[in-house]
Amino acid sequence: MMRHYVTIQPDLAMLDGKFLESKEIGSALLVELYRNHIGDYPKFFKMDALCRVGFVASELLLQAENNVRFEPCDDRAVIFFNQSGSLNADTHYQATIQDPGNFFPSPAAFVYTLPNIVTGEIAIRNKYYGETSFIVLEQADSAVMARQLLNAFLDSATQSIIGGWINCDDDEHFDARLFIIERNEYADVETLAKDIETIKIQ
Amino acid sequence: MEELIYKLKQEIIEVLNLEDMTPEDIDENASLFGEGLGLDSIDALELIVLMEKNYGIKLEDPSKGKEIFKSVAVMADYIQKNRTK
Amino acid sequence: MAEPILITGAGVVSAIGLGKQATLDSLLSNRSGVGKLAYLKTDHKEFPVGEVKFTNAEMRAMLGIPEGTVSTRTSLMGMLALKEALDEARLTQEMLPKVGFISGTTVGGMDMSEQFYLDYIGNEAHKEYISVHDCGSCSEMTADHFGKFAFATTLSTACSSAANAIILGANMIRCGEADIVVVGGSECITKFHLNGFNSLMILDQQPCRPFDATRNGLNLGEGAAYLVLETAESARRRGVEGLAQLSGYGNACDAFHQTASSPDGEGAYRAMKDALDMAGLDATAIDYVNAHGTGTPNNDASESQALKRVFGSVVPPVSSTKPFTGHTTSASGSIEAVFCILALQHGFLPVNLNWSQPIEDGIVPVSQSTEKELTHVLCNAFGFGGNDSSFILSKSVI
Repeated sequence: MMRHYVTIQPDLAMLDGKFLESKEIGSALLVELYRNHIGDYPKFFKMDALCRVGFVASELLLQAENNVRFEPCDDRAVIFFNQSGSLNADTHYQATIQDPGNFFPSPAAFVYTLPNIVTGEIAIRNKYYGETSFIVLEQADSAVMARQLLNAFLDSATQSIIGGWINCDDDEHFDARLFIIERNEYADVETLAKDIETIKIQ
Repeated sequence: MEELIYKLKQEIIEVLNLEDMTPEDIDENASLFGEGLGLDSIDALELIVLMEKNYGIKLEDPSKGKEIFKSVAVMADYIQKNRTK
Repeated sequence: MAEPILITGAGVVSAIGLGKQATLDSLLSNRSGVGKLAYLKTDHKEFPVGEVKFTNAEMRAMLGIPEGTVSTRTSLMGMLALKEALDEARLTQEMLPKVGFISGTTVGGMDMSEQFYLDYIGNEAHKEYISVHDCGSCSEMTADHFGKFAFATTLSTACSSAANAIILGANMIRCGEADIVVVGGSECITKFHLNGFNSLMILDQQPCRPFDATRNGLNLGEGAAYLVLETAESARRRGVEGLAQLSGYGNACDAFHQTASSPDGEGAYRAMKDALDMAGLDATAIDYVNAHGTGTPNNDASESQALKRVFGSVVPPVSSTKPFTGHTTSASGSIEAVFCILALQHGFLPVNLNWSQPIEDGIVPVSQSTEKELTHVLCNAFGFGGNDSSFILSKSVI
């Protein structure tokens, strides 16, 4: 199993296989996790739900990893997968241009209508200059994810990846299963796929 | 003017999601960008939308925002002079 | 890069034409496709755009798709470009189960969703378009028109999507997971992102002027392009020729801001450096750079700095072809890759139209039609989220 992995769903948060204490559900759970575990990044409140869940999940992973933080680095990639792209943010932004009588396109909402903004937010927070990518799949296919994550190590600069599945249907419904993998930690796609599958079941 | 400044502070907190702030926390003479409230370019664009939506002021040139958004007090002054609603 | 990857087919559609021949003619005669809005239904008539000059019905007719079939503009343009690429690489329907397909898009089926959005609520009309809204289904629809590909994956990293599809496809080939992967992207203009870019105040009401001191924003464009990436071994076996080869590529994050580029172009600099390193080339080997060059004050200043950092005092000829096509957003990486292939094949430098005054401390782009023998060209595509990609195409020696 990978050393650090995290699951955040509307009614639970688990880090490395252990439940994190929480009382709230849905969007309130993300705020609760932010306040209890992070708390020094007001930009969190400007983010859409996909970025909020990605940001909180990555922070939990990085706290568990317990390395020196916020030093510029280019050897860590951020590669996420999902099914719904930025659908939730699209809906929020669409609401600002839907009514001709109340037509005020919101730049702050539009910015999040790109799924890969979440990888950018994590890179900005941590000064990661390495690869970032966002791939849309039909479903959370562990084998496809494992293959594409291991392929990313072809970039000789990449020594580790924050990767995994991060989907957001609406502000209250999300599913993040993220992890950190190191170069040479997985010799083959099957083993990584199996571990990704394990996080899914928990 | 006092009233407009207070209302503007509330509106800014709401549209920019300054979650942990109250109007009392914002010094109306402090800079909104950079050191002050630490707002960025997207926030500036959102303030332009706020002025159009709530006060009927249309700002075509984003660089003009730099002057107007110097502080809440400057912004309130501009709104008072130019508002159409 | 150990084994060179060949490009054995390429197809394109944009505001300057359908197919490589029409595209080449437009590039050589400096004929821009940017003009008044004619196809998208919106009140924003003040913004020049680079539209593909066909209605959806016309594209359906060209593709032999019956009227009334559920299709989106993104997938129709994608099919037109994909057809040319597959035909050139002589990939038939029977061969597709061994061929991968990776497409970059961010808008997906938004063009239809925004037309029918109100109808979706409490009404069965146009419900069939909900299922083709998302980016993934647009790629699948494009692919399925031609047969059953081994897989169809969608990359969604804003304006670098198609460039990253090229990178992902090349990585899969290098890992031995496929001999042939078709890569690229497609994106149509929608009211959704026209209004969005307008809200960011980065649309110019005049034709865009990349790298010009008076530049004032971008013009949106649309289009699609696909490249057939193939191992040299597979191309030899099939008896197809390489139009060009992919020599190197890099993706890096600017890690600065969600939408703005850093003043020193850190991400762009790193992406170009990575591409050169992989290609094993010195910066002096690059004969031409097709810049991202959107025409926004921010991008062009930042990209100028990055170019100066990579190339030092001798920056090779640079141009942005966005005045021809508008900014084709997610598709720009592959559309401009096709422009680079044409430049390599026909020995010319595409002109940076509408340029007249240098930016202080900026680069001076190609402003005159120039014939030039080219061996290695570098192409940039940068996206929101600080997602910066760069790749090098070289004259095929195989």
